[in-house]
Amino acid sequence: MPKTIAIYGKGGIGKSSTASNVAAACADEGYRVTIIGCDPKSDSSITLLRGRRIPTIMDLMREGEDIKEDDIVFTGYKGVKCVEIGGPEPGIGCAGRGIIVAIALLRKISTAIEDTDLVIYDVPGDIVCGGFVAPVKKGLVKEAYVLTSGEYMPLYAANNICKGLSRLEMTLNGVICNSRGADNEEKIVSEFAKEIGSQLLAFIPKDVLVQTCEREGYSVIEKAPDSAIAGVYRKLAKAIMADKDAKIAVPLDDKRLRELTRI
Amino acid sequence: MPVKQKEPLIMHPRPSSIVAALYTLRDLDTDVVILHGPPGCSFKHARLLEEDGMRVVTTSLDETGFVFGGHDALVEVLEKVIKRFNPKRIGIVGTCASMIIGEELHEAVMDVQPDVPVIEVEVHAGYRDNTKGVIIALESALACGIISEVEFERQKSLLKEATMVEKRHGAASKEYLEPSRGDLKYKVAERLIELIKQGKKGINILNAKKETAFMFADINLAVAQVAQNLGNGPNIINMANLDVNLGLPKNRRNAHEVKDDLEKAGMEIHHIIGGLDEYPIAGNTASQIIGEKYADYDFAVITGVPHALPMDNLKNMELFSITNGPRQVVPLKEMGHKHVVVEIDLHPKTLGVNHIVESEFGATLREMVKDA
Repeated sequence: MPKTIAIYGKGGIGKSSTASNVAAACADEGYRVTIIGCDPKSDSSITLLRGRRIPTIMDLMREGEDIKEDDIVFTGYKGVKCVEIGGPEPGIGCAGRGIIVAIALLRKISTAIEDTDLVIYDVPGDIVCGGFVAPVKKGLVKEAYVLTSGEYMPLYAANNICKGLSRLEMTLNGVICNSRGADNEEKIVSEFAKEIGSQLLAFIPKDVLVQTCEREGYSVIEKAPDSAIAGVYRKLAKAIMADKDAKIAVPLDDKRLRELTRI
Repeated sequence: MPVKQKEPLIMHPRPSSIVAALYTLRDLDTDVVILHGPPGCSFKHARLLEEDGMRVVTTSLDETGFVFGGHDALVEVLEKVIKRFNPKRIGIVGTCASMIIGEELHEAVMDVQPDVPVIEVEVHAGYRDNTKGVIIALESALACGIISEVEFERQKSLLKEATMVEKRHGAASKEYLEPSRGDLKYKVAERLIELIKQGKKGINILNAKKETAFMFADINLAVAQVAQNLGNGPNIINMANLDVNLGLPKNRRNAHEVKDDLEKAGMEIHHIIGGLDEYPIAGNTASQIIGEKYADYDFAVITGVPHALPMDNLKNMELFSITNGPRQVVPLKEMGHKHVVVEIDLHPKTLGVNHIVESEFGATLREMVKDA
């Protein structure tokens, strides 16, 4: 049974960057990794494929094709299997239903989510409707991680995600801090993690190198393997692959959340 | 980018996969089915199925349910169903609304933990072929251990054939089919009686879909009786898809009941061509028997699903077809069926019965011979 994880967090906080660097770091360690991009923007796997955009499941479905595994699973950096679900144009149709349909299809035709060591579901920032939790509800995701910075709004989103996860009786396996350069950031997020009953797994400092590599279509693991930031992602990858305690998170009230960000 | 159609568009209304799932659950002797969705979804069929003794209830999702989800409503209705009906077997069937918003039928079942089997059918009406609804229901029944792998595979191949029959010569054969009431019954009856009187030889075939046999068989019976009354009984060969050992529980029972009625009325069935769920393939058996034994016959009366019969061995005969589909008239005429009669609204009259029900065409035939 592969480890199956999803990384949640406010939109724009760096989920896809974290997911692709963790995927690459795990591949370096010799793990077989699959990454499933669940965002209609379909940008989860681009830095594992040297900037290449792959056809999404929804693109092919719209074409009316009979979809086979080879049509949707692409091999990227060190054998990482990449799948993008895709979706309709913003403001049209129903992206949530798209995820439900794509997940059903994946389960039917793909071995990439079974015959592997780690599956990362890169989910959209906002779980706006039932479809966006399909990977969890269908039992495909067993571990959930929350990514946040130390600022109030991302923490507010992270706290809300914890509410959603606990409603689904899904445990939280750890909190990751992606720094935006706020004061006392590591301390704030570490305290937040502790108070909701979880732990801070990694503090990812703000580093322009991540953006530079991404612009060229690479993860830092591939393009700058000896950089300090690559080391941080490797450490996070190890923490994710390690067995650890997971409890259902206890979300904080808004008052406490505001206090916390004033430390 | 425009959405491309995999297959050509069909504009006339098509049968619903949700309804197909409901009928399948009935065939599996399910006591109560919960439709998880809006109150009006599949109303007409939900109501009709009650005639067959299966209760259908709804979670009555409204705008609030669409927005906030219907999990609690499903749990509540499931608990109420267990209390009120004390069912031995429960079905939960999805609808377009609940499936689009991502409702998990299984979550409610896990919450309630009923001690009887629950067949969960995640279905909506957005499938091109309504047989998809049957397959999803059967997959779930297989997972519950209610049907065997062998029966499942058998059903699946029959459904595939049924879909092909509809695509070749049925209501899925054209972009748009005009509904029609078919030929006037008394005109067709007149011609049929004329042929029987002349001593012409005829084949009288029942190839009915499941319980519709209760009424279609009445027509075959009338043909046999009329021939008998006119002294030409031996000129008619009777065939029927009434094998009592094939199909889901209800289909077997119904085959038995129809066969019993026909035999009691003095009609001899010369050839059993399959089970009541074998209407897509029983025609092939009939065709083969005709080719071997009755190739020189003058006419054939085919009731039920006449378009499932291959034309090869029929093309030199004068064909009398009786269907219940107003959209089946045009395709049957195009196949070469000279006379096509529609028994309108036949299906509802065959629910909740266990004996043959009088048909209009059968009654017409009998009356015209009585007058003569």
